[in-house]
Amino acid sequence: MRHTFIIARRVLAQLKGDRRFLVLSLLAPLVIIYFLKLLFDTFPPMVNVKSYTIPICAFIVHFLSFILCAILLVQERTRGTLERMMIGGFSKTSIIGGYTLGYFGLATVQAITVLAESIWLFNLSYDTRTVVLMFMVIWLLAIVSVMLGIFISTFAKQEAHVLPFIPLIILPSVFLTGLIIRPDGLPVWAQIIGKCLPLHYAVNIINEIIRSEYSIADTLVDFGILTGYIFGLLVLASITLKETE
Amino acid sequence: MNAIEIVNLSKSYGKIGALRNMSLDVPEGTIYGLVGPNGSGKTTLIKALVGAVRPNSGYAKVLGLDPLKDKWKLREQIGYMPQSPALYDDLSARDNILFFGKAQDVPDLQKKVDEILSFAELTSRANDAVRTFSGGMKKRVSLCCALIHNPKIIFLDEPTAAVDPHLKMQSWILFRKLAQSGVTIFVSTHQMDEVMLCDKVTILRNGEILAVDTPQNILKRGKTRLKISVNNEERTALIDSNAKNLADELKKFGLENDISAVELHSDSIEDIILAIVLEKEKEEKS
Repeated sequence: MRHTFIIARRVLAQLKGDRRFLVLSLLAPLVIIYFLKLLFDTFPPMVNVKSYTIPICAFIVHFLSFILCAILLVQERTRGTLERMMIGGFSKTSIIGGYTLGYFGLATVQAITVLAESIWLFNLSYDTRTVVLMFMVIWLLAIVSVMLGIFISTFAKQEAHVLPFIPLIILPSVFLTGLIIRPDGLPVWAQIIGKCLPLHYAVNIINEIIRSEYSIADTLVDFGILTGYIFGLLVLASITLKETE
Repeated sequence: MNAIEIVNLSKSYGKIGALRNMSLDVPEGTIYGLVGPNGSGKTTLIKALVGAVRPNSGYAKVLGLDPLKDKWKLREQIGYMPQSPALYDDLSARDNILFFGKAQDVPDLQKKVDEILSFAELTSRANDAVRTFSGGMKKRVSLCCALIHNPKIIFLDEPTAAVDPHLKMQSWILFRKLAQSGVTIFVSTHQMDEVMLCDKVTILRNGEILAVDTPQNILKRGKTRLKISVNNEERTALIDSNAKNLADELKKFGLENDISAVELHSDSIEDIILAIVLEKEKEEKS
């Protein structure tokens, strides 16, 4: 556990030192949400844009957390620091744990800022309970995205190898998880693919809690599945992260 | 006692044989050099010994331990400096060394970091981000990371490439001091002047061992070219590089009074190693 904290502290120190990365991970989602606002302002008034706002915010956090974490870990591999860490006495479990813990803080800040900007910019009015639940969904999704980034990075030898996973994993999330249209009308096989993607469960929860009356109990299964993704991906990443050539 | 034992070690990447049936013993407390052209297997061999490469056959023991099965026990006792600096560019030199030191739970770490930074002549730049360093300075930080936990055996993959001559010599003085205190240094290098500073050298090519000997004995394998001018007529002879052979050869010429000049051009260690490699290539072609 001590090694996990050492790596987490190093990840945070590294993030602090890499201002370009920090700006990209914290400011980019805010700018994209502003662009979203500009786009939604052009829609006719009968379109209920507010129902799309929070799910799209969740997607933006999902996409950026995944891509940035995957690229950073691939950089560790190409620069030789990942191999050096392992030979230096860090286990792969402590490396994955350290990275997750390091990004834990970043994901928290990301979730808070994105949610705060969306509520302010789109003039959304939700009660405190709903806002807390929204924060929890985006935050959990950010952690899932970090885990997904770690897992996918094990298949990439260079930064460019991460890019093919965007059309493979991220883009299907846009079309098949209920982000734009309800997935009920999709063919069954497409619905099954959609249900394999973590964004599906985040969108499910958000769609449930933005209704005027809802019960937290109705969201528990989706929250459970989202949490399950974290542990599932943690196990998968531990298996696929290789210590030897 | 041997610090490293390698028995019939082989590793291939697809059809390419990186290590071919390699066997080698490295005595404790020696500076053991690995030389050979690019792609000869130096880095793969080092990686196999630190447990970063899984061999296809054969085995290796480092300090009596299996690099894969006993990796946790072994990693406490080895230092590893890879060919690329393998540092965190956004962290300072001090933070990089501290990070790798903490992994090994080094006692009195801050003091040790100060000492090692001073040795590497990096004290004034200790708190600067490594990304602002030159290639040679990064190599120095990387060396510090490998030495911070007082390892019993140190694997260095081209440690002084791009390091200035003064610090290169300082590094080799440190390696010698460490070896005298019982630490084994396993070092790969392209720099032939460094070969002479090793206790024993292995010459590799295409994953095979071509020669294992002391640098002095390798030097003896070289030839001395004799170019003798008699009455402005030039005669040449090729003899083994030792004093007796040279005297015998000169006797053939009677050392007459009209011999106006005797020039000696001995092979350098670089020439000899290159000749060994080329000889093997010729053999294979024929």
